[in-house]
Amino acid sequence: MATLGIDGTGQRLLRRLNPGPGGWQVGLATVATVGVALGLSALLIAVTGGSPTASAKALYQGSMASPAAWSTSLLYVAPLLLVAVGACVSARSGFFNIGQEGQVLIGALAGAWVGLRLAVPGPLLLVLVLLASVVGAGIWAGLSALMYRFRGVNIVVSTMLMTFLAQQLVSFAVNTPWLLQESRLGRGTLSPQSNPVPENARLTSLGDYPNLQLNGGLVLAVVVAVALALVMARTRWGFRLKMVGLNPATARHAGVRVGALGGIALAISGALAGLAGALLLTSPVSTNRLQPGMSLNIGWDGLLVALVARNNPLLAIPVAVLFGVLRAGGSFLAATGVPSFLVDVVKALLVLAFVAPPVVIGMLRRRRLADEPATPTSTPTAPAAPMGAPAPTAPTAGSAEAAGSAPAGSAAPVPGPRTTAPPPADPGDAGTAGNKDAMEGRLA
Amino acid sequence: MDVDDKLTPALTLRGVSKRYGPVVACDAVDLAVRPGEIHGLLGENGAGKSTLMKILLGLVHRDAGTITRGTEPVEIDSPQVAVELGLGMVHQHFSLIEPLTVWENVILGDTGRIDRAAACAQVEEVSRRYGLPIDPHVRVDRLSAGERQRVELIKCLRRDPSVLILDEPTSVLTQAESAELFTVLRRVVQAERRAVILISHKLAEIMAATDRVTVLRRGAVAFHGATKDTTAQELARQMVGREVSLQAESAALGLLPVERPAPVAGADGTEVAPSAAGPTQEKPAVLRLREVTLLVGGLPMLDRLSLDVAPGEIVGLYGVEGNGQATVGELLSGLLVPDSGTVEIDGRPVDLVRPGALHHAGLGIVPEDRHHSGVVLDMSVAENLVMKSLAGVTTRGVLSRRRMHRIAQRQMTEFNIVAPSPDTPLRSLSGGNQQRVVLARELSAGPKALVAAQPTHGLDVGAIEDMYVRLRQAAAEGVAVLLISTELEEVMALANRIAVISSGRIVGVLPTAEATAERLGMLVGGVSH
Repeated sequence: MATLGIDGTGQRLLRRLNPGPGGWQVGLATVATVGVALGLSALLIAVTGGSPTASAKALYQGSMASPAAWSTSLLYVAPLLLVAVGACVSARSGFFNIGQEGQVLIGALAGAWVGLRLAVPGPLLLVLVLLASVVGAGIWAGLSALMYRFRGVNIVVSTMLMTFLAQQLVSFAVNTPWLLQESRLGRGTLSPQSNPVPENARLTSLGDYPNLQLNGGLVLAVVVAVALALVMARTRWGFRLKMVGLNPATARHAGVRVGALGGIALAISGALAGLAGALLLTSPVSTNRLQPGMSLNIGWDGLLVALVARNNPLLAIPVAVLFGVLRAGGSFLAATGVPSFLVDVVKALLVLAFVAPPVVIGMLRRRRLADEPATPTSTPTAPAAPMGAPAPTAPTAGSAEAAGSAPAGSAAPVPGPRTTAPPPADPGDAGTAGNKDAMEGRLA
Repeated sequence: MDVDDKLTPALTLRGVSKRYGPVVACDAVDLAVRPGEIHGLLGENGAGKSTLMKILLGLVHRDAGTITRGTEPVEIDSPQVAVELGLGMVHQHFSLIEPLTVWENVILGDTGRIDRAAACAQVEEVSRRYGLPIDPHVRVDRLSAGERQRVELIKCLRRDPSVLILDEPTSVLTQAESAELFTVLRRVVQAERRAVILISHKLAEIMAATDRVTVLRRGAVAFHGATKDTTAQELARQMVGREVSLQAESAALGLLPVERPAPVAGADGTEVAPSAAGPTQEKPAVLRLREVTLLVGGLPMLDRLSLDVAPGEIVGLYGVEGNGQATVGELLSGLLVPDSGTVEIDGRPVDLVRPGALHHAGLGIVPEDRHHSGVVLDMSVAENLVMKSLAGVTTRGVLSRRRMHRIAQRQMTEFNIVAPSPDTPLRSLSGGNQQRVVLARELSAGPKALVAAQPTHGLDVGAIEDMYVRLRQAAAEGVAVLLISTELEEVMALANRIAVISSGRIVGVLPTAEATAERLGMLVGGVSH
């Protein structure tokens, strides 16, 4: 990213990666919770009769031990990352899309149709397949935005329910001979799947390394992630998107067409999920056929990646790698006899370990704020301590403010520290007002 | 009512005080409510009415004073105690759950088994007894505001309260519904010897419906007496009746037309007709609202409201909360679209449906609820400062952080915004500094007209002073300033003309020099019609 400098810009990047106030607390807590999650996982495996060390070894061998294992992991990383980046975009706008699983399928469906029905020579076919999946899934997700716009249908609900519709559609397509069901060869029974897409519609590996395969899809996904991170951080469009997500009323007031922008964000997120679907179809992760179960829960897992990455597309890259590793290692682990549902449990524990700390710490901070009595004058003058030494009741908004205004206090006409809330009001309001606004904007 | 004077009061408050830091919400308030009377409690916003009632309901603990129920002193330290003592309140904002039916709402909070038949029977019994017709099986979201109020009343009355408190009960009601309500209250009082406290700012209502009246001003009792022995004028004066000391200062600053012919005072003091709405200056109005009507839930929040603001003048839009000023503010923030009528800026009507149209037309606004529509708390100071003029900091769609910082630095210095850096999240700034950010952004865009809605709410003295100076300066530079406020002093201190809004209409516009507390009080109370 362009801010990757040494001092000033580097610090800014760090700050952006910082989850917010009390970042180090969150970091410490995350380390602790991940430790707990790993411990619990080991315990679970031991209790169900497995060996935790052998399992860890298997997990490692299946995902990272060799270039071949890495190749498998990275094949999963690309679609996961695409879904996650899309989820970041929609979450940033406050129009939460949780229907990626269905959008992945629709993308694969559109891609398969183009790949199998259009006889275009050369790599142009691949381009068309990818484009079709982007457009198809983008429109599919856009439908939810339209439903919201014209009928007020809750976006979270509609995107999720559309997933089931998408599953039925794909199932119908691969069970209907005149649509996409495989052609009859000899007398074999027909399976509910399509023919494999032609060779020139497949994503191949880049470069020629023994054992290691770097699929083109991964490059595509990383490029998309970096590009969107830049767009969101550096452009007017990204600025407006952030504004809409954080405070739709102010955004509207500042001249942003909230509904349109949110709809576009939703469509982008759908389009990226669709692209992930196309990757599943065209890369060696699958049989290159359209199959009802081919989405492999990538849509749901991608959402988790975004959740763990706290809606930051750049952070999503390492998190997606982690999830890809867990996926590849998980299937290897399942092959060694550990029940595959345990792998899912381990994954879920890890997600919780990453997601819980910021939420819990945020809640604790708010509670502490609310517990403090409404005494705006209990600290009659600005604390004598300079900025670096906060008051003992450390991370409350009130004292943060006091610390902020103290050095300049003598110059400013403000006589003493004030809370943002009017005196008799519950001081917790100040902290939660923004969140409430955001929630209302999203759910209204 | 002389007989009542000898009765033991149902509820007596002696010297009740409550302070919030330096703010005295209630200052040694005495109040005695007798059974069989409707006691009016009158006062401006912030006069302490709500705090007093919260003390009675056990929501707030008093600092000093005694409360006596009948003859024995009581300690109301929780809402449960208040209910046990027979104190029931109908809040101004209904606390009903819309998807539930009437009977479900009524028994909400009860413990034990739910007996649907008994609950319905009770609702019907109460509604018959007091003449509050309602179907217990209907869902609350299907009910009109008047019917919802009936549900609230039934909720209260079924607990047999000996003291019933109603907070601004008519603010959402039509004329006919209000009349109906007062008939019911009369019945409650006369037939069952209950006591009713009626909180209101509508003078006509207080005069017509109450037996005794207490006026609160700045937390203290300003007046107390039998309603029949007083007049609306007297009450108006008592309600807003401080000497308007700030007027002289305003005149000294040259913002007030000092020498004006004295108005020909009519007998009732309300000769000021809305026809005086034209701008005082020769210049044509920059901001003009024309016959704006806005309905919320079928009730007109703005009723054919017309208002002009000329360049260089400050017009104060004054009135009691709930009469439509907030709606005017939201309208001019682009958050509401009127049902009819137009908003014109510089002679051109503005298409309010388009986001940001008002801003492009040259209207700056300091919104009433800055957290809701003025700022984005989780964005930085710099981002908040430039969010309306992104064109100035972008080249081909890409933001320049350097330019953003430069602009932010300049505005922070110019407007005394105290923050560690332009990158500081706005959330961590004090209220005064947040408000300065809003004002800096709006004024830096070079507006033709500026709307300031409750611009000093929740700010400290320093920030208030600052805001006043900026608004005066803006007017002096030729900006048309509309100040929407419920604070009389603020309006008197700043405005050249005062437009009084009541029930969504402008009931009078008068130059500040001619504005007396009594006349404003009458207008605010809606007596002019």
